[in-house]
Amino acid sequence: MRADKRMNCPDCRQRLEQFVDRELDDDDLRHLEQHLSACRDCADEYQWHASLKRLVRVSCGEGEAPAQLRERLLQILS
Amino acid sequence: MAEAPNESKGAADFASEAISYLDTLYRGALRLTRDPAQAEDLVQDTYVRALRYQHSYRIGTNMKAWLFAIMRNLFWDRFKGRRGENVSLDGDGEFGLYDTLKDETAKPESEVLDSLAASEVVRAVEQLAELHREVVLLVDVEGFSYKDAAEVMGVPIGTVMSRLHRARQALQKSLWEYAQESGIVHGESG
Repeated sequence: MRADKRMNCPDCRQRLEQFVDRELDDDDLRHLEQHLSACRDCADEYQWHASLKRLVRVSCGEGEAPAQLRERLLQILS
Repeated sequence: MAEAPNESKGAADFASEAISYLDTLYRGALRLTRDPAQAEDLVQDTYVRALRYQHSYRIGTNMKAWLFAIMRNLFWDRFKGRRGENVSLDGDGEFGLYDTLKDETAKPESEVLDSLAASEVVRAVEQLAELHREVVLLVDVEGFSYKDAAEVMGVPIGTVMSRLHRARQALQKSLWEYAQESGIVHGESG
């Protein structure tokens, strides 16, 4: 299968971060997805960026505020 | 004079929604300050200021982004003495861990990521320059759109994108160095 003619590898790589961040417009999104479905190298790099973003979100997105802080804030807000 | 019922309900709704973001604000404060006591102070100051300026919050808009913007500005004003506009981000250079791994190791790239402990990723994020750290925090951890992150940081969307790109490169460089030091991969840092 050939890669989509409307997006080559450099164009794809340039947009991969926006793709991972769900920031591409509909046209770029369609062209990039077509390219990824036909290009193993770019698809591998996409998986890499997506995995790294997920790793950061999971690693840094855990933990709760201390109970005493919550109590103080509830008093302030009441 | 007694508070009107609708005002009282509005205040209660505001408080209820605001407190629902406590955990995420605290995690953000912890990443920014890297100190639990300072993080608590920063979050408490954020809520005090939010309460004081709650009239400026428009109901139905993004309260999480509004609270993060307050916290971000307090962080720069109180802990850093500036808003971060003139902080240098030079010296990070271009670094792509994916390409480095492809070139220098026999281990599949995804295996290297799987080998990294969450605590090491947190450490790498906390070692980023403040402006890099906050954009990673907003976009990667909290899932803000570029537009919302730009509003929180008070910069154009293009600046968010460029800072994010450089932040991710710096993060990859730090993780690569850790992977080498810990023997997960063998190779020369680029």
